[in-house]
Amino acid sequence: MLTLSARFILGAVFVYASFDKILHPAAFAEAVYNYQILPDELINLTAIALPCLELVLGIFLIINFWMPGTVLMCNLLLTTFIGALLFNMARGLNINCGCFSTTAVESSMNVLTVLRDTSFLAISGYLLYAIFFYKK
Amino acid sequence: MAKSRSIQENNVKTGKVTYFQAVWQVGALLALSILLALSINQLRSDRLPLMGDWSIKARLTNPHGDRLDISFENAKKLFMEKSALFIDARSMDEYVKGHIPAARSLSWHDVDRRFIEVTEDISPDTLIITYCDGTTCELSCDLALFLLDMGFNNVRVLLDGWTEWTKGHLPVEKENAVS
Repeated sequence: MLTLSARFILGAVFVYASFDKILHPAAFAEAVYNYQILPDELINLTAIALPCLELVLGIFLIINFWMPGTVLMCNLLLTTFIGALLFNMARGLNINCGCFSTTAVESSMNVLTVLRDTSFLAISGYLLYAIFFYKK
Repeated sequence: MAKSRSIQENNVKTGKVTYFQAVWQVGALLALSILLALSINQLRSDRLPLMGDWSIKARLTNPHGDRLDISFENAKKLFMEKSALFIDARSMDEYVKGHIPAARSLSWHDVDRRFIEVTEDISPDTLIITYCDGTTCELSCDLALFLLDMGFNNVRVLLDGWTEWTKGHLPVEKENAVS
């Protein structure tokens, strides 16, 4: 079933994405700071809470729990990430994406990153449609 | 709460309730995540302070309380006395357009490739001052930390170096005088 695979794929992506960031909060905080979007006061809180949110969303997607909220939150989160990436690419900031790891070498922001996140958003959008708009 | 129903079945049964569900669940997800995050953070030895100090000053102060950055006045003095080696962390294009006289070019983006050729004749105790452009100190700070890692003991950063230098109408060198 399409929704089952979508849930599992997206759930796995979120869970996987959260690991390195939960393990290295200081490095992730550095990455969040480098985006130069949030005010300084919110950086650490975001660095601590965001990976946990990703983990929770990933698990809930897989176990099919609180689906309306989970899927809505996934869409909001991915849209925000893509927005932040595009915004910083537009203003020429070349920084560590911080998407899947906190090491600077592996994950610089570029068009590929945006495309990758957009494909996640497509899966997430499909789930949104399945939950809210699909009528038998 | 649905147990093993498919999403579609759930949708048909609950209909409009789904929108309201979505809203409170989003709130609950955020609350749950923040609670979880704060608990994990409290329990770990490398916990992050909830309110971090991200000012330039804090980011440039090492655990001993020494600051990585150097004041413009000091940098100017050291330049006049010729007692510091300036290294330009900006791209080669910008270096060629104008740089601090006698400064060497070691673009941060090229550092792996050019580090050895640019620094092999510099003794580890030389006072090195890196500079770039902009007050957020990206290239010059990264370069300074890298040089410190590589064994140079005396590296400082001139914040917003190029802007300050040109604003002060100080001498400027063009082209690739010393690479």
